[in-house]
Amino acid sequence: MAYAAGVDVGSTQTKAVVIDEKGKIVGRALTMTGANVTRAAEEAFAIALKDGDVREEEVEYVVGTGYGRYKVTFGNTQVTEISCHGRGAVHMFPETRTVVDMGGQDTKAIRVSPRGEIVDFCMNDKCAAGTGRFLGAASSALEIPLDQLGHTALRGERPVKISTTCTVFAESEVLSWLGKGKKIEDILLGVHQSIAGRSTGLAWRVGIEPEVTFTGGVAKNIAMIESLEKAMGMKVNVSDDSHYMGALGAALFALDHIFASRTPAASRGVSA
Amino acid sequence: MSAIRVFPEWRGKDLDGMLHAVVELLDDTEFPTVKRWREAGGKVVGHFQVYFPEEIAHAAGMLPFKMRGAPIEPKHADSHFGSYLCSILKTSLELVVSKRVELELFVTHPICDAARNLAAVFGRNFPYPCQILYLPQNATSPAAREYLAGEYARVRDLCGQIAGVTITDDALRNSIAVFNKNRELLRKLYAIKRETPWQVAMHEAYALVAIGGLMPREEHNELLEAVLPLLEARDRKKHDRVRVVFEGGFCEQPPFELIRAIGRSCYVVDDDLLIGLRWILADLPVTGDPLDALAWGYLERSSYSPVQHDPRKQKEDMLLERVRNSNASAVILAAAKMCEPGLEEQVAYVHALDEAKLPYFVTEFEENMTSYDTLEIQLETFVENLLFV
Amino acid sequence: MSETAGTESIVGRGNREGARLFRQWFDGLGQAAEENRGGAYVFVMGSLGELLSTFDLPLVFPEINSLQTAVRHQAHDYLNEAEDVGYSPDICGYVKADVATQRRGGMLPMGRIPKPSIAVLTNACNTYIKWAEIWERMYKMPAYVLDIPASRQDGHPVNRHTPGFERDRKYVAAQLRELIVVLEQVTGKKFDVDRLRETMKHANTMSRGWKRVLELNQSRPSLFNALSDGTIYLGVCNGFRGHEAGAKYFDQLVEEMEYKRAHGIGTLVDERHRLLFVGVPCYPIFRRFTELFSEHGGTFVNSTYLWFASGGTNLGFEYELSDPLESLAEGLLTGVSDAMDSMFFQTKALVQMVDDFAVDGVVYHPVKSCRTTSTGQADSRRALMAERDVNSLFIESDMMDRRVVSEAQLKNRVDAFFEGLESRRNQAAAGLV
Repeated sequence: MAYAAGVDVGSTQTKAVVIDEKGKIVGRALTMTGANVTRAAEEAFAIALKDGDVREEEVEYVVGTGYGRYKVTFGNTQVTEISCHGRGAVHMFPETRTVVDMGGQDTKAIRVSPRGEIVDFCMNDKCAAGTGRFLGAASSALEIPLDQLGHTALRGERPVKISTTCTVFAESEVLSWLGKGKKIEDILLGVHQSIAGRSTGLAWRVGIEPEVTFTGGVAKNIAMIESLEKAMGMKVNVSDDSHYMGALGAALFALDHIFASRTPAASRGVSA
Repeated sequence: MSAIRVFPEWRGKDLDGMLHAVVELLDDTEFPTVKRWREAGGKVVGHFQVYFPEEIAHAAGMLPFKMRGAPIEPKHADSHFGSYLCSILKTSLELVVSKRVELELFVTHPICDAARNLAAVFGRNFPYPCQILYLPQNATSPAAREYLAGEYARVRDLCGQIAGVTITDDALRNSIAVFNKNRELLRKLYAIKRETPWQVAMHEAYALVAIGGLMPREEHNELLEAVLPLLEARDRKKHDRVRVVFEGGFCEQPPFELIRAIGRSCYVVDDDLLIGLRWILADLPVTGDPLDALAWGYLERSSYSPVQHDPRKQKEDMLLERVRNSNASAVILAAAKMCEPGLEEQVAYVHALDEAKLPYFVTEFEENMTSYDTLEIQLETFVENLLFV
Repeated sequence: MSETAGTESIVGRGNREGARLFRQWFDGLGQAAEENRGGAYVFVMGSLGELLSTFDLPLVFPEINSLQTAVRHQAHDYLNEAEDVGYSPDICGYVKADVATQRRGGMLPMGRIPKPSIAVLTNACNTYIKWAEIWERMYKMPAYVLDIPASRQDGHPVNRHTPGFERDRKYVAAQLRELIVVLEQVTGKKFDVDRLRETMKHANTMSRGWKRVLELNQSRPSLFNALSDGTIYLGVCNGFRGHEAGAKYFDQLVEEMEYKRAHGIGTLVDERHRLLFVGVPCYPIFRRFTELFSEHGGTFVNSTYLWFASGGTNLGFEYELSDPLESLAEGLLTGVSDAMDSMFFQTKALVQMVDDFAVDGVVYHPVKSCRTTSTGQADSRRALMAERDVNSLFIESDMMDRRVVSEAQLKNRVDAFFEGLESRRNQAAAGLV
């Protein structure tokens, strides 16, 4: 049995997965990226190997992805996280045609073909208004831990309208709503809806085609899932492994390489 | 001439009731009066800011609908535009994409680099004609008037074609008379603002002007004729407030709540809000060639804005004149976010106001903003400084 | 001449000569500044170089000066200075770099430029007008704004054989006659129609050559990179409009391209992807930007930039020399309209280019600084995607302001774009698409 691995070095977190020849995840790891990007990648890879009980030499091919992909020095090649998220999402949910990936720093909307290739993509460019970072600002302003934001927001009934597009001002806008006596849950629901609305706008740029799969760290947030479904007017797929989607996609590209080197004709040919 | 009436809500009410109805209408982002107009079988010309010769659409029996964006989320329109753009551009498209308003014709004059693309964007998305009207930027050229009258003839023919009528000169003269009346009433309203600003709040005056772009002008005239005497007779206490000019509302509109907030802290005795509806300053002749009259009015008897080039109307001189004429002692210099002409003009305005030793408050706004705390605090501090120092 | 010698002297001549002419042009401007002779400040969409040079006015293109500060990595200094005096971060960077240049007495990294005696501009870009108003205030000189009424409606480009066109042309001609009076007043020189005929003749040669050069890039492999090399050609096209040196340059450039085509000399050794560029280049990382694409074997075979920034001279419109003024009006109206059409009718034109140039992908590059060319891009891209199954990339940055140019972000997207192009190619090879 050969194994393939993907290492997704994000701006805050580094994720690694090891998959078997069937594309099943056998080991995962999530570490903080920190200042030494290469070390973070090595560390995540090592943990994922241990988690999957796989020896390093059993892994035939490693693909790096994410902003730090060129720092995955032990890897064999790099693929952008845009391609990886698309690929990972289609692997998990084969009917996926649109992927919304919401990470800490940016949000991506990706339209994919049935085979997981990128048809079109779009990213938020100049501000973090539609990203997890925005939630972070709200979290610190309201002094509610990030992982409880979603649950609190779901109790909201009359969401406020958040108009700022700037993360820096998000905090003061949230506080000003507090000052006006709005309930925390209504403010939070407003924040979620505002982000979901912006992300949906982004997705319309590439054209929203069902099914939609929601990936990235923020996909763990239950209020965001609901807000996104409401904004798009359809159900979205969310996997328990949503934040490993980039690493999974990278590992799948690695697997392509392994197969291609055995029988070139069988190549899915999606390599970078 | 249109007999359709689309705004019955104000009739039979006292002044407060009328003003309430007017504010409600302005606040309604579903544009009920435009819908009623269509339900009655009327056709609509959507004309983007700043100026459009509405008389021509009126003479065709169409409703000239002033497109000035709206405080709405550009859910669909956002994906048609990139970053770094003002809000009004997106929300104007949103109004039509979301079917809040429906049009038979869209016309825009290239007032700025962003808006010059609107006819192309609309044209790619809607089946009806989406056109550019090139108003002269070479306003002092002796050839400009004839050219403009020719352009107006083109617009006349287009409107006539869409409305299925032949627009006669008499019909145009008649429309000019209706709009002359309208402009006269608006001048009266502004005179009240200027002479007795405590009689009418900034947001009330604004709403009274703005709804003109949402209904047949005859109906707007009836409303103003009923409201203005009541405003004059209103028994309101005169407060000790600074008299200011608000500059920066020629295109994207500040949110209504912001206008209300400004009016709370000072008397806005003149402004350039929706200046396109008040662009022509004098009565136009109702005899002779009507299109030439309109062209003459645009070039020779008009207000100013950062988006029209005319060496006779250097913008900062015009602003100083506005301040003088309204006996204001300070200026609020606002610009919509990402509005290039507005932001560029601010530099010259600031310079001129510095030289004239007139106090001013510089700010940016967006039609969609919902939080003005910081802005309000700054503005109030500015005003307090003027009052108590 | 031996084959190698021919290759050496011809291939790359356009770039070498272009750089030399640029230097020469700038030396001339420096000299004018030194002698306190005023220049004519003009813009790329409707410069009227043909007319202005007959009054011996040195041509100053503030757009080109500003972009040069970015290419030379000094733009931020200029932008900061203008922002310090009140110009917003959200307005055109070209304007701001020029404001700082004027405040520095015309000093630029390439030398000094003269003050304006007159500004001549069209309504093709509203920033031209706001910009000229700044000079009017600074120098109290005339700024002549020419109204060029261009296409009015989507799907209805300017048609030269209609009464409407003739009406517009007459308006433009009337304005040209007014402008000539102003020019006579400013320069104290009498208008010389024969000299105009001469410059128009050279302009004809240039337009003809420019059109041919652009067409020749349909060759495979493509002969020049529209983004990097093309910008050099564009500089001559604008700066030397109506000059003998410009005419000679374009004759030689056609020769160079014909030669490269005959010998199969491409701009890349391994041309894998033929691309179109929409918008204004990313000048703060000009060279690197092109590399982001060429590293993947991608080259730009054409762009809307070479179209609108040449004032529509890419059309190859040739003046009728027997009636210079009337024909100048027709040419100006036709060219500037066409430049504006690069925004107005963009989708249709791009579809045509995709076919004519065998294009694999379209790169949209809207920038903060230039709303004229950027505002419609997202919508135009939607329309193109609906009409043609072609890969496209949408990346936002700026032409001046390095604060909003993130190379890492750009690279990420460019890499993903090529991953898509490669995968499509592989699918095609496997008969899957």
